[in-house]
Amino acid sequence: MKTTRIAATAALIAAAAIGLSACASSGASSSPSGSGTSTSGSGAALSGTITAGGSSAQANVQTAWTTGFTAANAGVKVNYDKSQGSGGGVTNFLAGSYDFAGTDASLKPDQFTKAKTTCGADGALDIPVYLSGVAIIYNLPGVTGLKLDATTIAKIFAGKITTWNDPAIAALNSGATLPGTAITVVRRSDGSGTTANFTTYLHQQDPTDWSWAAGTAWPTIPGDKSSGQQGGSGVVGAVTAGSGTIGYADQSAIGTATAAQIEVGTSGTFVDYSASGATAAFDAAAQDASQGAGDLTVSLDYTKIMATSAYPIPLLSYDVVCKTFKNAAQGALTKAYLTYVTSSAGQQLAAANAGAAPLPDSTLTKIAASLAEVK
Amino acid sequence: MTQYVAPRPGSSGARRLVGGPRPSDRIFRGLSYGSAALIMVILAGVAVFLIIKAAPAIAASWSTGDLASGTTAGYANFWAYSGPLIWGTLWMSFIGLLIGAPVAVGIALFISHYAPRSLAGILGYLVDLLAAVPSIIFGLWGIAVIRPYLLPFSHFLTEYLGWFPPFGGQVSTTGSTVLAGAVVLGVMVLPIITSITREIFLQTPRLHEEAALALGATKWETVRLAVFPYARSGMVSAILLGLGRALGETMAIALIISPSIVFSVALLTENQNSQTIAANIAVNFPESNDLPRAGLIGTGLMLFVISFAVNFAARWIVGRTGGSAKERRSRKIAPPSDAASILTLDVAASPLEALEPRGSSAHPEGQEPSIPELRD
Repeated sequence: MKTTRIAATAALIAAAAIGLSACASSGASSSPSGSGTSTSGSGAALSGTITAGGSSAQANVQTAWTTGFTAANAGVKVNYDKSQGSGGGVTNFLAGSYDFAGTDASLKPDQFTKAKTTCGADGALDIPVYLSGVAIIYNLPGVTGLKLDATTIAKIFAGKITTWNDPAIAALNSGATLPGTAITVVRRSDGSGTTANFTTYLHQQDPTDWSWAAGTAWPTIPGDKSSGQQGGSGVVGAVTAGSGTIGYADQSAIGTATAAQIEVGTSGTFVDYSASGATAAFDAAAQDASQGAGDLTVSLDYTKIMATSAYPIPLLSYDVVCKTFKNAAQGALTKAYLTYVTSSAGQQLAAANAGAAPLPDSTLTKIAASLAEVK
Repeated sequence: MTQYVAPRPGSSGARRLVGGPRPSDRIFRGLSYGSAALIMVILAGVAVFLIIKAAPAIAASWSTGDLASGTTAGYANFWAYSGPLIWGTLWMSFIGLLIGAPVAVGIALFISHYAPRSLAGILGYLVDLLAAVPSIIFGLWGIAVIRPYLLPFSHFLTEYLGWFPPFGGQVSTTGSTVLAGAVVLGVMVLPIITSITREIFLQTPRLHEEAALALGATKWETVRLAVFPYARSGMVSAILLGLGRALGETMAIALIISPSIVFSVALLTENQNSQTIAANIAVNFPESNDLPRAGLIGTGLMLFVISFAVNFAARWIVGRTGGSAKERRSRKIAPPSDAASILTLDVAASPLEALEPRGSSAHPEGQEPSIPELRD
């Protein structure tokens, strides 16, 4: 009796294990099986698995690209692990376990050097792939169409403006009735590329009010009363659930939250986010900061964004890839995927499905030239 | 175990039912020994992993390089970074236990002594079910329900009891406070404390309670005089096990509180909430590079050490009070009158014991009436 019961339990566990491993085996085989079958030829069918991961900001857009790419290449699987975050993505990439890594910050000089041991002497390339914007979201009952400029934003987030009817805000919003509600700043509690972009913007635009260096973590501000929330969704959730709250998030993730209009430079023009605005802003702000031949690292100079068609706080994310793959077939496969991602069609798909902004054509041309070097 | 089969000195060989260990016996003993050894290996492996991975960050300079930017910026060294986190972990767990433990003991007492049998069964089952709820669900529940629900209470506390440091400061408007986190923690430690204390309460010798009742004690007095003294060491160890759970709790805390790495006792503010080690690792690990990751693993090592210390403390307390309780018991209980033990003896009576009646063994005057093999 007891023996049969034990046997039955064992059989059940064994069955479950077999079932699970069957599920796993369809996804885990990372070998690019048969991708050597003339991928070099034009339009030949690709097959294999691309293993990648990193920036969670790229999660939606990578899903869209994967769907688009595999629709045309049924034999290809792309596993993008968004749970890693940018730091985890780069770490795994430098350890050689990823075909490419998604990261909100380009490789640092020491990482760029380290990539030469992982990828061989040719090193790695930073390829801009995802452009979006940082939205300033708020929830203030009775107030819509809030207008803010860089200085006011810096003062609010630094805790120097504490109520909504502050003269600085009122001056920008003539006609609106602002309540005396206290401002609750909502920020990320985790390290984040969005925070890095946003604090760079604040520090460049208003170094007097925002004297802290930019970084992935919220700085330690004396007397800070801001509320830290985990993840972009945590910030958006706390802003929409609260009253008198203001926060920042990747605009593709803000959902139904209300976003403020932001002044472009000192032009007196306040703009909503638009994809074309982010594209125009990137065009103006991107400064070449290449770390090696073909590398497309850019530094964004937010003070250069002047055109009234541009959105003042663009957000950029990269994919990092080896110039020379150890496995040529895997290299061809990854190259094909990234070429699709940075094609005009790929960028339009990202704009339509993931709220991204297409990169400017001039940048796409440069990317195509760099990707041509990947093998 | 082997006492059952080993021939006792003085007994004749004819009474031996089993000749020697059979193969199955050997196999299961091997498996059992192997499992016991494995746990040591795993524990040692984890400790070694933590030390090796954390060493670079503990040794490194925190004022230059990777550690000087990002989430680890602004700390003089590893200890300046991990100190507030250790404090936050202990503080949060303490508040969580303060909220959870009394309720858990109350539930256990209700199940064991007050509730009708049918209700007790259902309630016990429900509490055990609570233990199966994943912590992320508790986290989401905390965000959506507990946070806004506690806000009016927080305002009340600050307004009337603001002179008390934990209730001081400017009240949070989002509700992401230590208090909200601790309430959720309190709920999460309920099941483990309840189920252990319930079992211990049920083991209270029936005669103690009956004696108390016979002396005219009320139900509450019975519980106070008979049940609590008997269960004290068990309650302490149950609460410390709950503390173990609270110390390592990650996702619920990460989701709920608005953390800062500071030494603070504030419960109700927005940005003076001491962060816990586990939650800090959860929120910062993804964006960290090599050295900051080593720093986070170093804080994990601290958590490992704290958990160890808590468990040692638990054992020490249990060993101390438990020992004296045992002495009291063996001194004061008049064995022949212990109905429960006699009942157990009857139920457990086996053919083996029939062959060798207990009365013939060397217990003088019926001391040690319960099954000797079960005593440690």
